Amino acid sequence: MTEMLDSRKHIGSITGGGLKENLHVRLEVPPQEVQEGSFIVISSRDWIFYGIATDLQLQALDLRYALEPSRSRLPENLAGLLERQTLFTNLVVLPSLMLEQEPSDPQALSAWRKAIEAHEREEPRPQPVKSIPTHHADAFLASAGDVAEIFGKPGEEGNFVIGFTREQNHPVCVNLDKLIQRSSGIFGATGSGKSFLTRMLLAGLIDRNRASVLVYDMHNEYGLDDTASDTGENVRGLRSAFGAARVQVVGVGASAAIRGSMPDFNLVLGYRDILPEDVELLSQELNLKETTPTVLEALVQTFGRDKWFQAFKEMRRGALVEGEDGKKVPAPDSVAFWANQHGVNLMAAEGLHDKLRRLFNRPYIIENPPSDSIQAVMEALKKGKHIVLSFGGFESDLDYLLISNLLTRRIRAEWEKLTNQFRGGKGTEPRPLVIVVEEAHKLLNREMAAQTTFSTIAREMRKYYVTLLVIDQRPSQIYDEVMSQLGTRVCGWLGDEDDIHAALSGLAGREALRGMLARLQPKEEALLLGWGVPMPILVRSRRYDNFFWKDIKASRKSGLDQEQVIKRLYPD
Amino acid sequence: MEKFVIGRLLRSNTRQCVVGCPPSQPFPPFGSLVVIPLEEDQAAYGLISDIHIDDDGLVRQLVTTPAVTEAVIQDNRQNRNVPVEMTVLFVGSRSGGKISHLLPPRPPLSLDVMHLCGEHDLMEFTASGQFAYLRHIFEAQDAPATDLLAAHLLQAGRAHQAHGRPDWLEQACARVITMLRSDYDRLLPVLETLADAQRELAQAAGERMEKRP
Repeated sequence: MTEMLDSRKHIGSITGGGLKENLHVRLEVPPQEVQEGSFIVISSRDWIFYGIATDLQLQALDLRYALEPSRSRLPENLAGLLERQTLFTNLVVLPSLMLEQEPSDPQALSAWRKAIEAHEREEPRPQPVKSIPTHHADAFLASAGDVAEIFGKPGEEGNFVIGFTREQNHPVCVNLDKLIQRSSGIFGATGSGKSFLTRMLLAGLIDRNRASVLVYDMHNEYGLDDTASDTGENVRGLRSAFGAARVQVVGVGASAAIRGSMPDFNLVLGYRDILPEDVELLSQELNLKETTPTVLEALVQTFGRDKWFQAFKEMRRGALVEGEDGKKVPAPDSVAFWANQHGVNLMAAEGLHDKLRRLFNRPYIIENPPSDSIQAVMEALKKGKHIVLSFGGFESDLDYLLISNLLTRRIRAEWEKLTNQFRGGKGTEPRPLVIVVEEAHKLLNREMAAQTTFSTIAREMRKYYVTLLVIDQRPSQIYDEVMSQLGTRVCGWLGDEDDIHAALSGLAGREALRGMLARLQPKEEALLLGWGVPMPILVRSRRYDNFFWKDIKASRKSGLDQEQVIKRLYPD
Repeated sequence: MEKFVIGRLLRSNTRQCVVGCPPSQPFPPFGSLVVIPLEEDQAAYGLISDIHIDDDGLVRQLVTTPAVTEAVIQDNRQNRNVPVEMTVLFVGSRSGGKISHLLPPRPPLSLDVMHLCGEHDLMEFTASGQFAYLRHIFEAQDAPATDLLAAHLLQAGRAHQAHGRPDWLEQACARVITMLRSDYDRLLPVLETLADAQRELAQAAGERMEKRP
């Protein structure tokens, strides 16, 4: 602890504040030496308080000292002396954690240690702030030891260096075990480095191998090597880095090629895979009418859940034949014929058929796929492989919504089944799974959230070993109920006030953090927030380059077996 | 300890005293640090905050005379019975060799002798403690506090500078700012006066350098 104190940089002392209005530190160093977002440590008697700098304010003992420059009336040295005593900077610190310090007196320290060993008192650990430091308590910029004390030591099991503190470059870790225990989010405007942050976190998750990862890679960014749009440099993909034995790229469509490279296998849907609920989820995208559920219900009633799609696809729209009386009547294989036979509104049925033509024509939906590729994806995930589902040329919202929903629905059902079997004593514990959802607002917006499987996963699938990693540039478009379930949030720069508000929803001290989020560097800076991190902290994100991959390779691999991993992740 | 007798005490109270000396004798300048030995090993320190020369009947007549000869003027100054009066503002005391910036425990008595402090005493008194004695200047009711402060700091600063402590004056100014910083209207004129004193000191230092062979 003494070493830690020595390595801290003293910046000032507490002059006021409170838990609600934050703490006020009078700076004794030039304001430029402390920036918004700095990790601040306050030593007050037996306690250390940890917080984050949220504001810097120029203040004067008397306003006239600030308004009338003393250098015009006094020589340089006297003016300097006067300014040092009358003009100052007030640093506002949002306190987050407090930690009891070990006594400095050797005798007291010995007694203190004995009490801990005898379980008469608890080993001190950081706890949410419940009190405040005293007046004139010393404030410091955190040392590397402080950062490690709170965010974990870089080499330790489960810790992943996501970035560095802004001023002093101390490594900041995210605990990957905690990250995947609940759903998480990565937010940031376009160009704020979201994709790089995601790549790094995914690399960390895959490397630690705590859970299987399924990435819905709408823009084909994560699996194979890519070229950075701004620097033109090569960006290593996850499969390229980890090899096909650990990461498999799945392409949508039978002859999918991802930027000229062949995927490990292809995802092709059979007609029987498409269920009415999959179509209903596309209501907005396909502009379906409110009569759609009724028509779909009639189709299922007529042809069954497995065959309705094929049957409906094969019907002809507007086909007529000559009747016995010589008049034109609907052909037996027409939509109108079926509608008339089953008492379905003709206009509604034909309208739905017209609109579903976009689905009928998708090349990745065929009558008899050579294998059940959805099952293959799930089997790979169960075996501990990681899947990057690249949409290849199928980058439209329709493709993304349909495939991701359909696949997630199946996964949810499978993992629920596995969990229930396990709890019934009939199977092994399911492998934890993280589903990575890009452009999450398309699936988790207010209208869709109630219907999609994703919101269910965000809300309750933790119990079934499945969590989400949501990636989006418009968090305000994501349904509040889903946002409130996100444990860890990694926020890059957000320009829109509503997005900032949404990214901070449900967090303590959000008013203080709001300005900080708005003033992040447009690139390579992120604010870590939420349940998965001990306290909010601003980091300069790590660079996704060769050094990153060297570090990943050099990092200590997990020595835990699958059972131990699960016990650690889900102790209850 | 080099001490020069200036005069004897006329009257005193806890905060200040008045000392008289014959007009024929050279008397110390405004702002000088003086010491008045008390009983046993005690002494009172003060700053000359006012120098007062009273008139008498003869002077009143002489000023109306059209031509006063030099002999008359010298006679009046050498042989006059009315003393030069110096008001001394107490700023500290000494007891058993220890300097304190508190007021003397009791005022000196009539006809006690007052000495002018030499450079050594001046430096010893002003370097002791954290300039707490300066508050007596600011609290003085009748003294011209700003000028008294400037005169004192100039003399003490000169002594410290001559003995290798050029930073003393800056420390004293910092302390003055600390004492008065919550009173903007008072502090700024004080600092402007101190700026003048500083300039004089710098000028004097420059002249000394020039005179060196």
